[in-house]
Amino acid sequence: MLRLDGVHFSYNTEGQGIQDVSFELKSGEFAAIIGENGAGKSTICRLCNGLLKPSSGTVTVAGFDTSNAKTSRIARDVGFLFQNPDRQLCQSTVREEIMFGMGFAGVSEAEERCSEMLELFGLDGKKEPFGLSRGERQLVALASVLAREPGLMILDEPTTGLDYMECTRIMDHITRLNENGTTVLMVSHDMEVVLDYAHRGLVLSGGRLIGDGSVHDIMRDAALLSKASLLPAQIPALAVAIGGRFIDIDRADDMASIVEAEANALAGDSRGEF
Amino acid sequence: MGGLLDYLPGESIIHRLNPLVKLILSFGLCVSCFLSDSIIFVLSVIVINILLSMMARVFARTLLVFLSLIKFSTLLFIIQILCVRQGEILLNLPLGLYITDKGLMFSLLFISRLIAAAMPLSLTLSVTRVVDIANVLVSKLRLPYKYAFALTAAIRFIPLFSSEMAGIMEAQTARGVDFETKNFLKKIRLLLPLCAPLLISSVRKVEGSAISAELRGFNLRGGSSGYKQYPFKAVDYSALCLCAALVVVSVML
Ligand SMILES: Nc1ncnc2c1ncn2[C@@H]1O[C@H](COP(=O)(O)OP(=O)(O)OP(=O)(O)O)[C@@H](O)[C@H]1O
Ligand SMILES: [Mg+2]
Repeated sequence: MLRLDGVHFSYNTEGQGIQDVSFELKSGEFAAIIGENGAGKSTICRLCNGLLKPSSGTVTVAGFDTSNAKTSRIARDVGFLFQNPDRQLCQSTVREEIMFGMGFAGVSEAEERCSEMLELFGLDGKKEPFGLSRGERQLVALASVLAREPGLMILDEPTTGLDYMECTRIMDHITRLNENGTTVLMVSHDMEVVLDYAHRGLVLSGGRLIGDGSVHDIMRDAALLSKASLLPAQIPALAVAIGGRFIDIDRADDMASIVEAEANALAGDSRGEF
Repeated sequence: MGGLLDYLPGESIIHRLNPLVKLILSFGLCVSCFLSDSIIFVLSVIVINILLSMMARVFARTLLVFLSLIKFSTLLFIIQILCVRQGEILLNLPLGLYITDKGLMFSLLFISRLIAAAMPLSLTLSVTRVVDIANVLVSKLRLPYKYAFALTAAIRFIPLFSSEMAGIMEAQTARGVDFETKNFLKKIRLLLPLCAPLLISSVRKVEGSAISAELRGFNLRGGSSGYKQYPFKAVDYSALCLCAALVVVSVML
């Protein structure tokens, strides 16, 4: 679906840019890019849909080589959410905004999908997008990407500025799309979201890919994460911290399984003692 | 964004001149080419500009400015030369147009003046921070700080707007809008709706920085609040003398 091969890129000003990044996303994967501020996460996203062209190496997405395909053509198959939602909004009502992208993608049941999105996100279709709050604008921008149900979605920090409920609702919806075959590449600073939803983690630091593996493993690699100024999500950290004492606990990625593992272990202990 | 007017950092003697002196110098260069009627003098002002830019190590930029000015002036030159009807006819053209010796001289002088007068502006902005210009206007010329701030803000917002616009177009491309179309009308139709987000995000930004300036005590600021001093040094005085000499020469020629 998406394949980067020895990709180098630099903005013409000084700064590291992207150096020698290679990875491949298979159809249906759910990957998260994590890394410190300025690591180059947004740059990678832009490279992935052809907004930026690599200075060397190749980016292949949805069957196109980005170096010689039009971005507007790639955009029909690749949904893209920008870090700053305001750049995306340009229509006078929320409904038109959500319909906008679908027009180009040639989606036939646009009306229905739009209504579905409005309901899902609890948005008022008649409102003016620019009058909404920061979080609501983020929702509208996200809705306009999700409504198109593209084969690949690149989401640059989809959950920043959203409250917990909204965040869960959106991520659940993305997960549903992912289960139906959509490939997802997401940038996030929220390790809990990454742990709960993504399956694969790509750790970026100083423009280089320093880690690539399952989120489960990456969250347990404190040395790797600290290289990218990141702190592991709390539960794996807790699991690693107490993991030495209880068997199985190291595998736990959510609270319930920690408690369960700990309870099992305690039960085992007590049986042994008495 | 490689604008032709933004600051290029450096440590050259030109960079270290007092900002006010740089302003006066560029003003002097502009004025002198309008005072003089000699094309040789105006051409030497262009050479002086180029020499100054070499001293400041911004020659590449100046060359770019020079070339784009040439492009623009060629157009003006052609219009000018066809419009002047006095003097002796040098060349007859179809459609009742002709070129005269006066027209040729006048147009040459006109465009070289234009080039000579535009170059110092770009040069000054290339070697001086706008903040320094504003500060020196406040401290030396007693310009109210508000106006100086408006000047700096205005100049700072130009590249900001253009990068904002680039960002918005990028976002629309990512949604499938095809800006690469050759059809001019179609392109306009695609670009028009983008004015709304540009305006709104710009107004938001301006409002934001106005409020934040207010919150940081902007209104309390007086002429003496600047922490940076801009003393005149020997180089500055000698630069001023050279400038005065140039203006005097221009009046005589
Ligand atoms: N348009 C641009 N022109 C020049 N340099 C840029 C541009 N955009 C980003 N950069 C530089 O490239 C580097 C990587 O930026 P990028 O936006 O990819 O970081 P990021 O990982 O997304 O950071 P964040 O977590 O803050 O979003 C930064 O050092 C930044 O200064
Ligand atoms: Mg970013």
